[in-house]
Amino acid sequence: MTATALPAPLRRKSRLGPRIRIAAGVLACIVFLFPVFWMVLSSFKEQRDIFTTPPTLFFTPTLETYISYMQRADISRRLINTIIVAVGSGLLSIVAGAMAGYALARIKLRGAGTIGVLILLSRGVPPIALAVPMFLVARSLGVTDQHITLILAYCTFLIPYVMWLMRGFFLALPKELEESAMIDGCSRFGAFFKIIVPISLPGLLSTLIFSMILAWEELLFALVLTNRYASTIPVAIAGIAGDTVNGANWGALTAVGTITVIPVVIFALLVQKWLIQGLADGATKG
Amino acid sequence: MGTVEIRDVRKAYGQIEVIHGVSIDIADGEFVALVGPSGCGKSTLLRMIAGLEEISGGQIAIGDRVVNDVVPKDRHIAMVFQNYALYPHMNVRENMGFALRQRRLPRAEIDARVMEAARILGLEQLLDRKPRQLSGGQRQRVAMGRAIVRQPNVFLFDEPLSNLDAKLRVQMRSELKELHQRLGVTTVYVTHDQIEAMTLADRVVVMNGGIVEQMGPPLDLYDRPESLFVAAFIGSPPMNFLEGVVEGADTLLLDDAQSIALPMSVSGKGRTTVGIRPEHLSLAATGWPATVAVVEPTGSETQITARMGEHVVRVLVRGRTDAQPGDAIHLTARAEDIHLFDSRSGRRRRPGE
Repeated sequence: MTATALPAPLRRKSRLGPRIRIAAGVLACIVFLFPVFWMVLSSFKEQRDIFTTPPTLFFTPTLETYISYMQRADISRRLINTIIVAVGSGLLSIVAGAMAGYALARIKLRGAGTIGVLILLSRGVPPIALAVPMFLVARSLGVTDQHITLILAYCTFLIPYVMWLMRGFFLALPKELEESAMIDGCSRFGAFFKIIVPISLPGLLSTLIFSMILAWEELLFALVLTNRYASTIPVAIAGIAGDTVNGANWGALTAVGTITVIPVVIFALLVQKWLIQGLADGATKG
Repeated sequence: MGTVEIRDVRKAYGQIEVIHGVSIDIADGEFVALVGPSGCGKSTLLRMIAGLEEISGGQIAIGDRVVNDVVPKDRHIAMVFQNYALYPHMNVRENMGFALRQRRLPRAEIDARVMEAARILGLEQLLDRKPRQLSGGQRQRVAMGRAIVRQPNVFLFDEPLSNLDAKLRVQMRSELKELHQRLGVTTVYVTHDQIEAMTLADRVVVMNGGIVEQMGPPLDLYDRPESLFVAAFIGSPPMNFLEGVVEGADTLLLDDAQSIALPMSVSGKGRTTVGIRPEHLSLAATGWPATVAVVEPTGSETQITARMGEHVVRVLVRGRTDAQPGDAIHLTARAEDIHLFDSRSGRRRRPGE
């Protein structure tokens, strides 16, 4: 009955709506993806083809830059370093940040709000101001150029990030869930791990992914705190771009850039179901 | 043993005290309803019994054990929340068995208890569903099932029916009552709905502003409210109130210069409020003159809204009436149905006061 009673203009509008949305979506994709497309395309060109005017779309693709740079700039080791550091700092910050966020959301503590805001404000400090003191501390401890140093350094900005995201997520959960669990025989920790964590899995996972991506592409701390052994991919890219002796090797830059992006894309595709669910809702309405 | 002893219990948040010394003794197997307007402290008191709120003063004992410093899980209680608080990632079976798994009971016993509760509540077909696949009434039942399987000493209910629609609420109300008669477990039930409190409870505790206004069996509260607050809170439609000054022995002079002759002698000084329930007013040939304003028949009874000078009174007449809006009528009431209150203190006037 309701379907037939629907006035005509409403029905037409509902048919027009998706087209506009699709068009807007396609446009947004083009804007965001074109630079990536161009980077990938250029990485298969020879150096002389990259800057032709007008730009060439058709050329003989070559893997030359890939092959030469994978060996020359130690890309494979740096790739492994980046994975170690991104996974390590992501996991560490999700554990610490989620628990801190839960405490901020739930535990009645005098000054908890102030503590939370202070931790958030610490993110307002420009990283460059922290990088040098961090380097001095790391050097006097003798831990420069090590994975753990970089992991801990990344946690300084990842933990506040995770904490605030998860705090909001936990606040949206009804507190009766934990209260019920505590009456049912759990401690506060038990309620957190048995009830809150499983419910929050989509949120935790998407936060973890964002944290790992932030760590993956971080340059400044990696540049300051590592040298050769624990150096990451962004450092390699910066090195190529800032090569003042030979000039920037754009072929190498695009090839290494592509290598950097691929794992992130694969990872995001694998977990996109979780990612969307985690971003879209709390998934908790019980 | 499912007794609950609440002794001069207080709750303060910083400097602000919200519960000012409440004492209630609840017998084993008794169904007690805590009722009152929002902010009266009824939920806070319940949460203190559960151990979810700290007790600022006084003590609470469950069975023979003072539980002030006992964590919720060790109080042998079960609680049903207003929003049910079902664990969304567990199905009905896991939800109901969660507390038993926490206690590491043998699997066979958990299954048996869950099945028994499911049978009592008619949930057998839904055991493998997740909470989001259930209707409001079914979720409510699962929440009760989760409480039943615990076999607790005390059930605590925090407005468990207020998220249901009106029809389901009435149905669940009688199911709850039947359940209590069957299990005989001590129950403390918080509600803001006086009808729920009246129909369910053996004893009703009316709270207001952090104190107990009055407690007693539902009909005692209805028949003999000790304060204006209780008189106004219990009963629907609510009691009529007329306020004025007693003149002579049996006349109340209202503020609009109307005088009302009372069918008994009153010896009160100061301002007095007369309270009469709508069903205790009746139409008569003589009595207090009034004018009919609205007539609302429901079939079994008719509610008349009438004006007495500047005052509006409601009259509930059994059956039907030919009264029409604008009609001049006379109202009377029997002496034993008239409640007298001291207007200033709000307390009931006893003879000779």
